[in-house]
Amino acid sequence: MSDKNKLLEVKKLKMHFPITSGGILKRKVGLIRAVDGIDFTIEEGETLGLVGESGCGKSTTARCVAQLHRPTSGEVILRGNDITKTGKTELLKARMDMQMIFQDPYASLNPRMTAGSIIAEPLQIYKSRGMLEITKAEIIEKIETLMEKVGLSHHFRNRYPHEFSGGQRQRIGVARALALNPKLILADEPVSALDVSIQSQILNLLTDLREELNLSYLFIAHDLAVIQHISDRVAVMYLGKIMEVSRSKELYKNPLHPYTVALLSAVPIPDPRIERERQRIILTGDVPSPDKERHNCYFYDRCPKSFGRCKEAVPALVDVGSGQHVACFLHHDKEADNS
Amino acid sequence: MNNDVILKVDGLKTYFNTDDGIVKAVDGVSFELKKGETLGLVGESGSGKSVSNLSIMKLIPSPPGKIMAGTAIIDGKEDIFTMTEAQIRELRGNRIAMIFQDPMTSLNPFLRISTQMIETLVLHQNMSKKEALVKSIDMLELVGIPHPDKRVHDYPHQFSGGMRQRVMIAMALSCDPEILIADEPTSALDVTIQAQILELIQSLSKRLGTAVIMITHDLDVVAGMCDTVIVMYAGRIVEKGTNDEIFDDPKHPYTRGLIKSVPRLDRPAAGRLFSIEGQPPNVIDLPACCPFHPRCGEVMAKCKNITPGVTKLENGREVRCFLYEGDK
Repeated sequence: MSDKNKLLEVKKLKMHFPITSGGILKRKVGLIRAVDGIDFTIEEGETLGLVGESGCGKSTTARCVAQLHRPTSGEVILRGNDITKTGKTELLKARMDMQMIFQDPYASLNPRMTAGSIIAEPLQIYKSRGMLEITKAEIIEKIETLMEKVGLSHHFRNRYPHEFSGGQRQRIGVARALALNPKLILADEPVSALDVSIQSQILNLLTDLREELNLSYLFIAHDLAVIQHISDRVAVMYLGKIMEVSRSKELYKNPLHPYTVALLSAVPIPDPRIERERQRIILTGDVPSPDKERHNCYFYDRCPKSFGRCKEAVPALVDVGSGQHVACFLHHDKEADNS
Repeated sequence: MNNDVILKVDGLKTYFNTDDGIVKAVDGVSFELKKGETLGLVGESGSGKSVSNLSIMKLIPSPPGKIMAGTAIIDGKEDIFTMTEAQIRELRGNRIAMIFQDPMTSLNPFLRISTQMIETLVLHQNMSKKEALVKSIDMLELVGIPHPDKRVHDYPHQFSGGMRQRVMIAMALSCDPEILIADEPTSALDVTIQAQILELIQSLSKRLGTAVIMITHDLDVVAGMCDTVIVMYAGRIVEKGTNDEIFDDPKHPYTRGLIKSVPRLDRPAAGRLFSIEGQPPNVIDLPACCPFHPRCGEVMAKCKNITPGVTKLENGREVRCFLYEGDK
């Protein structure tokens, strides 16, 4: 694939948060390695699903991409520009192409603003900084088309968030994200807080919008079935590292990393007959704390298939053919490790 | 046959008085729970599944809540709703135990696990503190906590989410209850931990012969572990049947829609998902109608002004829908 189609490229991204102690004079006593060196790309019109258990760093990744956290090291290249080192105005410009949708539709909307003013806020911000030429009438028109687009009646423009249900609020969040005609939407668990019947409505909305507006998504979820449904490619994260990136179809048919295998086998399937016959791989123990520097495979402690080499080095993410990349020595050949 | 029924809830109605009107959170719920059975109670938020079970435990804050009607007969003898406060206390934690969604908010963060576990045992089982401690350690070992003799003296924050839920299960089962009510026990947990906890609840209930009421919004969870399934919508039971029946041949249009709208891992992604359009109704001043009719694909004229009754089908299956009225 040529570089032109690459919308977002993340290289060696690390985000370490300091652990401090003491009251006024804070001392640094350690580091939480929330994201510990990851690489991925998103092409135009593509959806990359990012999946993992809580604490694996998937939300931090999205926040680093949006530059809500300035990453410790690494590059975030959006349409050819590295945005990790840019100034405020440049960053603001870059963010026009990149908007976020959040998990909790209750917490992510200001309760004192009307739906219309929430959706218009991004436009107002750019207008007030002279980065966007738009008249008042155009803003109102834009709000109404956006509301209709996400399946809300434009008559609800002057209502407050508490007058909407959870699903409708999430639609407002989607409309706000679309206000600046972005190329990339960072969706951080957009359906996890919703009921089953509402969840499928929002998933369909996101799918339709992608086709209509040629959007790309970085779609974060912990629900593997949801990720499978919406993604073209899937990245599996564990403890701040990407364990496996594969085309969605391949990943589910033929998972390679032992962690992916275990994760998939843990997901219940809504059919009692299949459930009775399934063999679960139940991982023992909990996810270890990300406060240590690791020199062995990040999954070593819980891996049912670990062997000698896993203890000695960190496996790199290697292309093993058929569009699958995996960070596991089980699937590496000798020469791949030396690179 | 009837002796097997450990809990029989009949015509339960729980209403809440609010400024906007009376919220009929639970409006005529009846079900039976057999000994050793796992009953799944499925529904979306606000469908009344948690309120039904809090009513059984008499844990509805009153006011604003009130149990308006109904009986809940435990073991074929006493009605929970007519018991005195002292009798209820004897029941809770001892004969009916409950585990909640969020294990951090249901454990007291200031007290050691040992203190919290011993308290229940001393109160309900007349044990001495020493005996209770031994029993607590046994229970923690049973739920798979490593080094239970040391960990029992830890505080809740020293445990991870999955471990805390294990502690909750140990605590709930320590008095050997006849009924365990699990209210969304795995919603706050990750998939790999969820699999561990569900497996644990299943194996322990089989081993100890405890009947389990599993409240969840997640059909996947139900499919894996329940014997009987009840689907709730807007405070009423819309469908009841065995696990296989519900998933193989869902009757009510809501159940059918719900099963179809979940993306599945074992089926390839196919374009758009099926989705039930619209929102669940507001249960304040609900007029006489089928509460599902605005979202139903098979709506008929009478659905809009008559509340459908329960139609009993073969094998004890029940459905609340006019489509099956003729099939009796």
